[in-house]
Amino acid sequence: MLAHDRATTAGAVLGVVAIIFLVGQQLAVLNGLFTYMSVLVDHSGADIWITSEGTDNINAAGDLPTRYADRLIGLEDVEWAEPVVSGAGFLKRKDAQFQPVRVVGVRPPRMVGGPWEYEQGDNSALLDHDAITVDWLDRQELGMPEIGDVLEINGQRCRVAAFTRGARGFSGTLVFANEEKARALGGVADDRCSSILVKLRDGVDQEAALARMRVLLPRAEATPTAELSVNTRLFYVTQTGIGSSFGFSTLIGVVVGVVIIILTMYATVLNRQRDFAVLRALGARRRDIRVIVLYQALFIGFIGILVGFFLLAGFLFGTSGSRLPSFMPLWIPPVHALFTLLLCFIGSGLAIRRAVKIEPASAFR
Amino acid sequence: MEPVVRLEGVARDFWDGVKQRRVLQETDLAFFPGELTVLAGPSGSGKTTLLTIVGLVLKPSAGRVWVAGEEVTGLSEDALATVRLKRFGFVFQTAGLVPALSALDNVLAGRSVQSDRVKPGLRERAAELFGELGIAEYTRAMPTQLSGGQQQRVAIVRALLGDPAVLLCDEPTSALDVDSSRVVLDTLKRLARDPRRGVVLVTHDPRVFPYADRLVKIEDGRIASDTRNRDEG
Repeated sequence: MLAHDRATTAGAVLGVVAIIFLVGQQLAVLNGLFTYMSVLVDHSGADIWITSEGTDNINAAGDLPTRYADRLIGLEDVEWAEPVVSGAGFLKRKDAQFQPVRVVGVRPPRMVGGPWEYEQGDNSALLDHDAITVDWLDRQELGMPEIGDVLEINGQRCRVAAFTRGARGFSGTLVFANEEKARALGGVADDRCSSILVKLRDGVDQEAALARMRVLLPRAEATPTAELSVNTRLFYVTQTGIGSSFGFSTLIGVVVGVVIIILTMYATVLNRQRDFAVLRALGARRRDIRVIVLYQALFIGFIGILVGFFLLAGFLFGTSGSRLPSFMPLWIPPVHALFTLLLCFIGSGLAIRRAVKIEPASAFR
Repeated sequence: MEPVVRLEGVARDFWDGVKQRRVLQETDLAFFPGELTVLAGPSGSGKTTLLTIVGLVLKPSAGRVWVAGEEVTGLSEDALATVRLKRFGFVFQTAGLVPALSALDNVLAGRSVQSDRVKPGLRERAAELFGELGIAEYTRAMPTQLSGGQQQRVAIVRALLGDPAVLLCDEPTSALDVDSSRVVLDTLKRLARDPRRGVVLVTHDPRVFPYADRLVKIEDGRIASDTRNRDEG
């Protein structure tokens, strides 16, 4: 029946493709934004982040005393504790226009919390007093600077020393510098920092270490890295319009796809009423008819999923390394495929209702 | 001789949109193996309704039905479907073949409506039947590549593949030309020679009557006459 009704079959397949592609694309962009939201946390290499009290979003952390780092180093649990400085600023482009940036300062020689991948250059670039890094994908926003170009942030001289890769922030263009330079560029006081990154010694119980840190620093927040990453993402999803916006877009993709599947599968059954009547007359039970329609839904779902993921792969490939954030964690495609198959089965419900109502006697009319 | 199907006081009502209308009056009738029974009558006389009740496709509003000596009146829909699959073969007015399947696949699909597996040997048996009905070279043909007569013979193969006790044919020649009709009717006549099988054929075409071993005429939902005619045809 499916092979015969090519147009309606193609329509149903299109519905599945719409679900796979539209929802998948939304999820990829949302996950891409997730990576931006918590980019500094996810690539820090630290076990625990110390932030100002009540911080539930790393991009909105207040400042705290830098000396906390010295206190933390005193704990036996701690291998190292490094402050990270963060300040806002305006970068003056070569064309004299201004671009808001977030200057992140990291302390040599570990450079913890700093860049993790470079397009050009390496960490040693940040050892130079004036050096800053900008991300390869942010160059356009920053006026296409080249290595060695001298720019200004908040009226202070700095020099582009390296291009990072993938170090793009959610709440502003990220520029890295060494701690001292970042304090100068971002106007951060010498005794303040935005966070302290802590690495525990091997074999240390993280929960016990956290408890000790909370006693040691009662006016600060000690959060495991993974938890801070999740908290940051949840903050944006629940406290801003991002969650509802993406949720709505995803829902629209699902609804459009399901409606197409329902209508086309229903049309397929309507077009083949006589075939179903003949099958019923020949001895097919209602449950056999259900199996036939479900099998059709499975077939349509399988083809649609293949085509949809092929298109989605093209989208991901096309946006890889572009300014459009897109990232597809490996667990999403199988879950997405199963969910879509489930929708196909649900979408075939109306067609099944129609198909099982077809009277076998109608084969004789 | 035990009838393959027996009806006792069978009647059927339909709702015509205003009131219940009895289209088949209380009918007692038995069909026997080795016999081609023709149910004849004008349009609307109730002959197809009678055929569908015989074939357990339609439940009677009143009366009782036996198949091969077993009463099936109170069986569930699913149980009736299984009896249909095991005991009956159907040939419809139009062949009722699935356009996307080859002739052979259509025939096999008719036997696998309750499961996906084709039983061992069924494919070979189907090929034999294609040969017996003179369409051996059309097993791989698609329905649209076959003439009306060839399609009906494919439908007969489909009906015969389960080795049914009763072959029920609903105006099988009404859409065929004279030559194709003759081939189909000769085939049905030959099949009715099998002492294990009864053939019941519904028609309003008097040209079919000479093929009948038994001619049952129906008018206004009642049996008007029931005559045996073994020497003719």
